[in-house]
Amino acid sequence: MTVEISDKILMNVERPARYTGNEWNSVRKDPNNVKIRFAFCFPDVYEVGMSHLGMRILYHLLNEREDTYCERVFAPWTDMEQKMRENNIQLFALETRDPLSKFDFVGFTLQYEMSYTNIINMLDLGGISIFSGQRREHEPFVCAGGPCAYNPEPLADIIDFFILGEGEEIINEVLDEYTSWKAGGASREDFLNRIANIEGIYVPQFYNISYNLDGTVAAIKPKKAEYPGKIRKRIIKDLDKAYFPQKIIVPYIDIVHDRIMLELFRGCSRGCRFCQAGFIYRPVRERSSDRLVALSRELEKNSGYEEISLASLSTGDYSELEQLTRGLLKELEEKKVNLSFPSLRVDSFTLELMEKAQKVRKSGLTFAPEAGTQRLRNVINKNITEEDIINSVATAFYGGWNNIKLYFMIGLPTETYEDLEGIARLSNEVVKAYMEMPGERRKKGLNVSVSTSSFVPKPFTPFQWEAQDSIDVLREKQRFLQGKLKKKYISYSWHDPELSFLEAVFARGDRRVGKVLAKAWEKGCKFDSWGEHFKFDKWMEVFRECGIDPSFYANRKRDCEEVFPWDHIDVGVTKGFLIKESQKAKDGELTLECRVKCSGCGAYALQGGVCFGEHKV
Amino acid sequence: MPCREVFALASIRFRFIRGEEVKYISHLDTMRTFERALRRADIPVAYSQGFNPHPLLIFGLPLSVGVTSEAEYADIELAESMDPRVFAGTLNSKLPAGLKIAEAREKFNGANIMASVALASYRIELLYTYKSIGIPEAQALIHAFLGQHEIFVDKHGKKGIQRVDIRQMIKNVELLSGAGNLENRLCIKADLSAGSKANLKPELMIPAFNKVAGEEAEIALIHRMQLYVKKGEKLYIPLEDAVLR
Repeated sequence: MTVEISDKILMNVERPARYTGNEWNSVRKDPNNVKIRFAFCFPDVYEVGMSHLGMRILYHLLNEREDTYCERVFAPWTDMEQKMRENNIQLFALETRDPLSKFDFVGFTLQYEMSYTNIINMLDLGGISIFSGQRREHEPFVCAGGPCAYNPEPLADIIDFFILGEGEEIINEVLDEYTSWKAGGASREDFLNRIANIEGIYVPQFYNISYNLDGTVAAIKPKKAEYPGKIRKRIIKDLDKAYFPQKIIVPYIDIVHDRIMLELFRGCSRGCRFCQAGFIYRPVRERSSDRLVALSRELEKNSGYEEISLASLSTGDYSELEQLTRGLLKELEEKKVNLSFPSLRVDSFTLELMEKAQKVRKSGLTFAPEAGTQRLRNVINKNITEEDIINSVATAFYGGWNNIKLYFMIGLPTETYEDLEGIARLSNEVVKAYMEMPGERRKKGLNVSVSTSSFVPKPFTPFQWEAQDSIDVLREKQRFLQGKLKKKYISYSWHDPELSFLEAVFARGDRRVGKVLAKAWEKGCKFDSWGEHFKFDKWMEVFRECGIDPSFYANRKRDCEEVFPWDHIDVGVTKGFLIKESQKAKDGELTLECRVKCSGCGAYALQGGVCFGEHKV
Repeated sequence: MPCREVFALASIRFRFIRGEEVKYISHLDTMRTFERALRRADIPVAYSQGFNPHPLLIFGLPLSVGVTSEAEYADIELAESMDPRVFAGTLNSKLPAGLKIAEAREKFNGANIMASVALASYRIELLYTYKSIGIPEAQALIHAFLGQHEIFVDKHGKKGIQRVDIRQMIKNVELLSGAGNLENRLCIKADLSAGSKANLKPELMIPAFNKVAGEEAEIALIHRMQLYVKKGEKLYIPLEDAVLR
């Protein structure tokens, strides 16, 4: 009963190859020969979803199971969705074109909060009941994982179960349970009961949330004693032994990250206080350079890709970087494959590296000072000095680079206009460094792009108690910077503060904001992170209609005693540590990176990685 | 003496087909797909010199999204000589479903497929809702269409919309007999100018044809049947001896 998509429809939508699949290394199985149908759903369009490394890993991992067929589903673009609704075409999987409602599992990855309306839209297009309480016995189980799953509450009424931590092992355990459950023919609730005690699984409907009169959370309690009071995330202790596919799908069309991504390590030892990823993926665990070189060889052979990217939260911190790049460059040069490194910290060694690797073209270099003054950088624990930055930029300029991107955040805790002035001053110093070069080196002209995003306080960071600046304050700050950065060679771009505001609401939202999501979708909100589709007025209308004050979530400063909607989730890093860090932030005190000096963040309890002496600096 | 012995390179020209599975990918996508397949197949492609080396692979003529073809041509320079049949077989094992090399021959001169393409032959099938087209009616339609001295169409380009006379670029249109022709389905073959000097895409010709027919017929399919190159004053199929030597 596959879905029929006529040529007529495909010829009248943008980029029809988004919907036709058949890519090299996409998996073909006979659906009649498997016991489990798994639909991996990315709540955005093909080009964005295919760039996601996690999906590439889990897709092949699941397909290694003989009893399972995992297929991909992406959000159809608005033009295709319109044609689908007009023609009663249900959302389908790319590989078989089978409708979503036919699958056993529909799994979403939660990469950013503003993708949530797309999740609801995809469930609706797929003929699946939006709320888990309404799902009938034969409907698929809807699950979710990814970074936003660490505060699962806004989606608690929609998702049947969450996967917290690294899914590679958990998902196999869940599917094994499913096979024996299905054979027995028991109820949906029975299945959820069976998996509720697998480490890393959170079944929201088994928990009661109670609220205080002031609107804060009073308690999060399991409905039965047999359910875990705290759900601890799962980690893979030894990344070298962890699954990594030898084949990855090679898309036809241009996607955002169209290259092999080699995951060097998980977690980050720097502890920048605004950064959620650094904390939730601790402890830091590395792959050995031998394993990585071997993997790159296989991946290159099986894909034919022209570029390999070294992916991690801070590639410059990888302890075997020199070994790895030496090993890779040798192999890749003959095959004319490029090496690229996103997320590098600023220092001269890495520039030497890039010189070696980017022989072919000198694309722009990105630096992320995040704050304009040393004082504020110390508050956020970003241990870079102005001297570091200027030295690196100067080295880059002498090396022939003339395109520099500078990333900053505005609205950080304790920020004053002096700090904003610092952004302008630092940008000018960068231009000055270029101008100080002799004339013959300045032939190409300079381009310094300054970009500011707005600080969004995230769970499991030392800043999770902070208030976000109001939209008006953020706008004023952006206007101020616009004025200060109207200089030759400098261009300034900023993020929409209304979008950042909503992000802040859902990042720290509780279960009650779920109905706002559903209503916003009903009113036509989707693809919210795409500027052209973002409907802020509709969102505000929905908050009013639901009687929920979004500022309560975004702009309110919390005190240390408050129970958070995510307190029942254990990521390793403890609340006590985060409180200490938030105090140090106020005093502008730095915390050294954990490989140099352990600060007892709590990740040690997960029993893996650098906490146990491997890869110490 | 063929030059290639001096440079130790081999040149191969090949014809490939583009099937249903991949007809929605763009020309750029196709080029990229070939580059990656060549790497997977470990074929010793020669690369250009300079800052941004790219493989020495050129394609005859871009194919629009939605169009299939049994006659796409490309020229490739190899860093080591290779038997064209081995080249085709090896590359085919690494090409995705829908792309397949049908023929490959060694090229002994500097002929450049992109520069020499002059004509393309298309099979076009049109579906009429209100009419039914019998053979005599179809012949009359084609005759009337070709009988025009000028045919103006609106061409959407970078400079906006231009009115262009495409009559000279339509070399021939004829009815295709056989199973394709049902009562409301018209199958025609159109020979249209192609290449860098003059290029007419079938999608641009079809609305003008429909005007003569009096109905906006739906395009059921467009399929490229053959490409022709010009050498001197004559037209040849790109893999003929006369072209390759």
